[in-house]
Amino acid sequence: MDIDVKNLHPLEVRLLRAVKMGEDITAERIIKELDYKVGQCNQAFSWLSAKGLIVEKNRVKYAFYELTDTGKSQAELGLPVERIFTFLKENGAHTLPEIAASLSLEQSDVGSSFGQLSGAKCAALNGERKAELISDSLPNDVVIARALINKALNAPLMEADLTKEEKNAIKGLAKKRGAAASTFKYVEKEDVTYTLTSDGQEVKDALLKANITGEEFGLLTPQMIQSGSWKNGTFRPYGLNAPVSRIIPGRTNAYGDYLMWVKDKLVSLGFEEFDGPLVENEFWNGDALFMPQFHSARDIHDVYYIKDPVHCKEIEEPWLSRVAKTHEDGGDTGSRGWGYTFDHEFTRRQVMRSQGTVLSAHQLPKAKVPGKYFGVARCFRYDQVDATHGADFYQTEGIVVGKDVNLRNLLGLLKMFAEEVAGAEEVKYVPGYFPFTEPSIEVHIKHPKLGWFELGGSGIFRPEVTRAMGLDVPVLAWGLGIDRMALMHLGLNDLRELFTPDIESVRMRRGN
Amino acid sequence: MPKIETHENLFYSLCGKRYTDDELVDIFPVAKAELDGREGDKLKIELNDTNRPDLWSAAGVARALRTYESGKKYEYNFFSTKDDVKDSGNRCIIDDASALGIRDYSIAFAAKGCKVTEEILLTLIQSQEKLCSNFGRKRKTIALGIYRSDLITYPVHYCGADPDKTRFVPLGMTEELSLREICEKHPKGKEYGYIVSDKPLFPYLYDDKGETLSFPPVINSAKIGAVEVGDENLFIELSGPILDDLLLTASILSCDMADMGFEILPVRVKFAKETKYGSEITVPYYFQSSQSCDIAYARKTLGEELTEDECKAALTNMGVDSSINDGVITVKVPEYRNDFLHAADIVEDIMIGHGLLNFAPVLSAEFTKGSLSPAEEYSRKVKRLMVGLGFQEMMYNYLGSRKEYVDNMHISDEKVVFIANPMSENYEVVRPSVLPSLLESESVSGHAQYPHNIFEIGKVVYKDENDNSGTVTKNHLGFMSSDNQVGFNEAISYVNTLMYFLNKEYTLQAVENDGRFIPGRAAKVLVNNVEVGLFGEVHPQVLESWGCSMPAIMAEFDIDALL
Repeated sequence: MDIDVKNLHPLEVRLLRAVKMGEDITAERIIKELDYKVGQCNQAFSWLSAKGLIVEKNRVKYAFYELTDTGKSQAELGLPVERIFTFLKENGAHTLPEIAASLSLEQSDVGSSFGQLSGAKCAALNGERKAELISDSLPNDVVIARALINKALNAPLMEADLTKEEKNAIKGLAKKRGAAASTFKYVEKEDVTYTLTSDGQEVKDALLKANITGEEFGLLTPQMIQSGSWKNGTFRPYGLNAPVSRIIPGRTNAYGDYLMWVKDKLVSLGFEEFDGPLVENEFWNGDALFMPQFHSARDIHDVYYIKDPVHCKEIEEPWLSRVAKTHEDGGDTGSRGWGYTFDHEFTRRQVMRSQGTVLSAHQLPKAKVPGKYFGVARCFRYDQVDATHGADFYQTEGIVVGKDVNLRNLLGLLKMFAEEVAGAEEVKYVPGYFPFTEPSIEVHIKHPKLGWFELGGSGIFRPEVTRAMGLDVPVLAWGLGIDRMALMHLGLNDLRELFTPDIESVRMRRGN
Repeated sequence: MPKIETHENLFYSLCGKRYTDDELVDIFPVAKAELDGREGDKLKIELNDTNRPDLWSAAGVARALRTYESGKKYEYNFFSTKDDVKDSGNRCIIDDASALGIRDYSIAFAAKGCKVTEEILLTLIQSQEKLCSNFGRKRKTIALGIYRSDLITYPVHYCGADPDKTRFVPLGMTEELSLREICEKHPKGKEYGYIVSDKPLFPYLYDDKGETLSFPPVINSAKIGAVEVGDENLFIELSGPILDDLLLTASILSCDMADMGFEILPVRVKFAKETKYGSEITVPYYFQSSQSCDIAYARKTLGEELTEDECKAALTNMGVDSSINDGVITVKVPEYRNDFLHAADIVEDIMIGHGLLNFAPVLSAEFTKGSLSPAEEYSRKVKRLMVGLGFQEMMYNYLGSRKEYVDNMHISDEKVVFIANPMSENYEVVRPSVLPSLLESESVSGHAQYPHNIFEIGKVVYKDENDNSGTVTKNHLGFMSSDNQVGFNEAISYVNTLMYFLNKEYTLQAVENDGRFIPGRAAKVLVNNVEVGLFGEVHPQVLESWGCSMPAIMAEFDIDALL
C-alpha cells in the first residue's frame, strides 16, 4: 500500500479503527457508533472507497414519505377538507367564497376539497348554491390520511409498510420534487453496505502501529495553550502533499532585480554611477560627441523633439565654443574637423535623450583621472514599437578615464564584462564604427544558451570629443546590450514585456 | 546603416576568388561589413562605417578584402592633380554663374569599354542610390546622373534655368513638362523637388546642341538620360553645394567602374567661381591632403610596441601607402577615401591592418572606487520599505498618450512635456507622474487576485521655467492600493509608516481642486515646509476614465526632495 497514514483525515482514521474485516459497514452503524453526521459519514465512505480501503458489498433501494413543513402545520390545524367539514358542521351552509374567506384558504383549495366531499357524498350544493353537509362523517380516505399524518409525526412512513388503501390516500398529498406546498415529500434512497478490504486492513494496522487515533488535535488554539489542554492529547501530523494556498508577497520587479545586479557588478569592478535628465539638447546628445549636425542619425526620423520649449536657454561655455570650433576646423584637438559651419540654433534644440553616451559626454569635463563611470540610462528612439524595439528602453554605458589606458585595456575590459556580466564562453572582437570613437570595437560573445551575439560596442573616444571637453587623456567608452540578456534571464522574448503593466505577469515573473 | 545587395558572381569576380559564407563572416570585419543574409545567389551585406562611402558597393567591399589578403594596393592612373592633368580630349563641362547660390557645382567624368549588363546596371543604380541618399543627404548635397555619352555634344553646360520656360521630356514620361511642372507632377519631382523649388532658378544640364541631360537633383531626360543594357559609353555627372563631397563621390564611382572593367575618361570642369583647387580642374581629381600620426601616439593608443615596418605593413593591408620619418607616419590617403580627420583614424587602420586578434586583452591596473549614485542608494532603501509593506514593484515605459497622462487623470496639461514629432499618439507625452502608469496597471489587471498593492520608483518629467531646458527630470515613488475596501485611512497609514522609517518629520496639508482625488480625502506631505509628495483616495471619475471598478488609494513622492 502506498498510503501515508498521516495524510488520512480524522474521519477516515476513526472509521477504519472502528471496523473489523468481514463486518458490515453501514451509515446507520457509523452514525450511531462514531457520532458522525450524515454528511461526515458520506465523506468518509467516499474517500475510503476512492482509496480502495473499503468496498461496496451491496446496496438496497427504498422509499419513504416524510412530512413537509406544510404537512406538520396541517397535522395541527387539519387538512383543508377537514376544516371545511368542521366549518359546515358548526356554521351551516355557506357559499364557497364565504368558506374560503372565513378559513383563509385559497379558492382553489376550497374548490378541490369541496369536490372531494361531494364526490364521497358528504356534501352538496343546496338551492341557494351554498355548500351543506349531507353526511355526519368524513370520507374514508380522509380518515386514513389523517391517521397517516399522525403516524408520520413520529417517523417517516416506509412505502413498503403501507397498505393499498393507504397508498391511495397518500398519493394526492405527496410530491417528489417541489413538495413545499404538499403534505408529504416522497423520498427514494439507497442504503449501501461496505466492507473493509485487505488494503484497508493493512492501513488500519499501520494506523494502530503509528498510534494514530483520529482524536489528535488539529489547530493549536490560544485556549489550548492557556488551559494546558494540549497536554492531554497528541497533534495530528499533517500530510506534505496537500494542495497549497497562494500567498501574494511584496516583491521587487524581476527586471529591476537584474538591472540592480548589473549595477552592483559594475560597482564591484570599480565603476561610479552617473545619471542625467531625460530631456537633452542636440549639443550634448550629438554635437559634443562629434557627430556632425548633418549626420543621418540626427534626422527627424530618428530622434524625438520636444514641442515646448523647442530650445534650451543656453549651452554652457566654454564647451559650446570649443565643440563648435572642433566641428568646423578641428580647433586644438589635432583634427581637421568636419569643415562646415556649426549651427548655433540647432545645437540648442531639445530632444529626448537618444543614447546613453550623452551621460559620458556630460561626465568628461568633471571626470577624475583615473576614473571609471557607468550609467543605466533610459533612452528614446523614433522607432516603430515591436518585439525588438521599445519607445523607450535602457542602455548601459560607461567610460574609463586614465593617463595610459589603451586598446588592449579596452579589450581586457570587454573580456571582463563578457565573462562577469554575460557569462560568456568565448569572446570575439571585430572592428566597429561609432561616430565618437576611433578605433571602435564590437564585442561578440558565445553565450551558453543564446549562441553568438553582439554584446556591445566600444572604442576610444575620438580626441575631438575628449579634448574639446578639456580632457587630454584617453577615454575608453563602452556600451552593453543588457536587455537581450535580461530577456533570457527572465525567460521572455519580447522587449515590450520588460515594461508590462500587467500585475499578474509581473507577480509571477522570476529570474533563471 | 547602408545595406547593399550584390550578385555573388559579380562580387567574387571583383574579389578575384570565391568565398564560402563562413569565410565571408570571418573576413568581412576588415571592411566593417556583415553578411546580412542571402537570397538565392544574391548576397546581402550591411556596412557599418557611415564615414566610408567607398565601402557601400560590391566593388568597394571586394577591393578592401582583396587588398587585405594580398597586401597589394590598387593603382588607378586616371586621377588628375593640380600639377598632373590627364588628357580630357574634347570632354568638358562648363558651370554657369547662374547656378551659384542654387546648387554651386556640377562635375563629371566619362567611361567606356565595358558593355553595360543587367548586373552592372543594377550595381550602378544601387551605388547611385546609396551615395546620394546616405552620403548625399537624400540628394541635398549630392545628386548623380548617368547618361549615354554617344548622344552628347560637348561641352556640356550647367546653369540655373527659368523653371517655367525650360521644358523637356523627363525619364518615365512621354510629354514635355516645365521644370516646375516636373516638381509638381513627376514622382521624383514630388520626392526631391523641394530641394530647389524655393529658388528663383532651377539647376539644369544640357549639351552644346541644347539637348537636355537632366534637371538635377530631380530627374534625367528621357533621351540622353535613359541608360540601358547594352550601352557602352557613359557620362557621369554630379551636382551639389559641397565640392569635396562631389569630388570624393566621383572618385569612388570611377574606381568602382574601373574595377568592373570600364576605361575612365577624364572630363575638364570649368567652375563658375574660383575654388580652392582653382577655376578649372580635370575629374576624377585627387584632392585629398596627406595625414600624419606620431608613431608614439599609435603605440600608446594601441598598447603595443609596433615596429615601423609593422605599422607600414598594416596600412598597406588597408590599401594605404605610408612613409615614416623621425617617428612620424605620413599616409597618402587612397583616392576613394576622405575619412582621415585625425591621427586617430590612422591608428584605427593600423589596428585593423595588423589584425585585432594580435592585440592581447589586458586589464588596466589603475585603482578606482566604485559607487552607486545617491539617488539609487536612496531608491533602494525606499524600495525595501515598499516591499516590506506588501507592495509589488512595477516598471513602466515613460512615453504614453495624452489620454493616459492627461485626460484620464483629469489634470491640466500646462506642465506636461509633449513630443513635437510623435510617431503615433500612443507615444506623444513624457509622463509627468507615476500615477497614470499605476492606474494603467489597474485597468488591465482586473483578473489578478486582489488586493493590488503596486509601486514604482522611476523618472518623471515636467515643465520648470527655472531650468535651462524649461523642464526637470525627477526620481519619483508612486504607489497604489486597490481593493474592495480601501480608503483614506489606509493611505495615511502607509504614508505614516514610510515617513517614520525614512526618518522624516512631516506635516499634512489638505489638497484642494485636484481632479485625481476625492475632495476632502487627499493631502500634501510637507517636510520642513517643502512639499515632498501627496496622497489620497482616487476620484471615481478617474477610475471611470480608466475603466477600473475597484476603489483605490494612491500616493506619489519626490525621491530627490526626500534625499
